[in-house]
Amino acid sequence: MKVLTPITQALNDGIITRTEFKQLMRRSNAPAFAHLALWVLTLIATGTAIYLAMGTLWVWPAMFVHGVVMVHHFALQHECCHYTVFKTRWLNDVFGNICGFIIMLPNRHFRYEHCDHHTFTQVQGDDPEHIPLPQSMAGYIWYLSSVPYWRNKFTELFRHVMGRLTDDEKRFIPKEEYRTVYWEARLMLAAYAAIVVLCIAINWWAPLWYWWLPVVLGEPVMRFIRMTEHVGKPCVRDMKENTRTNYVSRPLQFLCWNMNYHAEHHYAASVPFHALPALHEKLKTVVAVEPRGYLGAHVDIVNQLIGRAPRADQPAQDHG
Amino acid sequence: MAEGKRWQALIAVRDIYPGDATPVTFGTRELAVFDTTEGVTVAMARCTHGAANLCDGYFDGTHIECPLHQGLFDARTGAAKAAPARVPLRMIQSRVQDGVVQVLL
Repeated sequence: MKVLTPITQALNDGIITRTEFKQLMRRSNAPAFAHLALWVLTLIATGTAIYLAMGTLWVWPAMFVHGVVMVHHFALQHECCHYTVFKTRWLNDVFGNICGFIIMLPNRHFRYEHCDHHTFTQVQGDDPEHIPLPQSMAGYIWYLSSVPYWRNKFTELFRHVMGRLTDDEKRFIPKEEYRTVYWEARLMLAAYAAIVVLCIAINWWAPLWYWWLPVVLGEPVMRFIRMTEHVGKPCVRDMKENTRTNYVSRPLQFLCWNMNYHAEHHYAASVPFHALPALHEKLKTVVAVEPRGYLGAHVDIVNQLIGRAPRADQPAQDHG
Repeated sequence: MAEGKRWQALIAVRDIYPGDATPVTFGTRELAVFDTTEGVTVAMARCTHGAANLCDGYFDGTHIECPLHQGLFDARTGAAKAAPARVPLRMIQSRVQDGVVQVLL
């Protein structure tokens, strides 16, 4: 099989030297712990805002802001599943599982699913994380509502609890790992159930106000961000075309652990999160960059939906 | 010595990346030369799981991580150490002689 890592081609083309690349791949725990410390402070700040707003209508915007931070645990989990947060490999597993528990994304299953996403990025029918370009504005809004996302996630969790996998899942999860996937779902559900029972038993509802409601309120923002990575880009294997890098503000870059440099991440998934901006400097002439950031990506997507621009998921000859 | 095989020069030690993995094409074979903490080893360069050349992955002196899916192999023995890697790397018998890495092929 042909080598699929685009960094190999970039090295062969002289866009980056092997020495430069290996420098960027150096691992360190220090940037991860520094980022994590600021992360916890941010959570404390947004959580405090909920506490202060409790009993007023301001609690809803406060929960939304806290939720936006909470759903970004996905970004940390994603980095952990690539082992590019901590140099100490097992720390990535620990934090990946913690993040997965916070946002109901079992870590082992996500890791296998995400492996295939990197193998088959934007290949319709093969990429298990492929988000299709919606057919209409209604479909676009429906996706952003997160209703289909949560429906899929709950269905997935209960399917695994029942000891079942879809045919697609059997393609990317090795047989010897089926039980791991079932048991991580069962443990996750059991832990959630135990917390609900505890809440009812002692009439303590902090998890609802500081965790579950914020995550539900914040998830549309994560859907909005996830769409900017590949949606509206051509459904082809070429990493120069099928993935966007978005220039975003420093706070957003902090929240997504530099994953706005998404094309660079797909080029070289072993480069740690803290080195992605430097990798971008090397690859910015060959990857697709959206200078207007997340909003610009959505302008691109909506233009394709309303017919102002050719749909990227159509064959080239249809573009006129 | 294995029948039909002979020691052949692969690469000069001075030409390998110190403490890292070096890709070498040998005939039609893609090989990886690992400068491990316990000496030089040689393996087939392709990941046994995915379509990647392991030389483009992260190497810590003992373990090589696949650049595509971050599966892990022990570069000294070829053992698959972390998912999604399951099949061990095929190691090539090697030695260093007069400043040259040789392989038994």
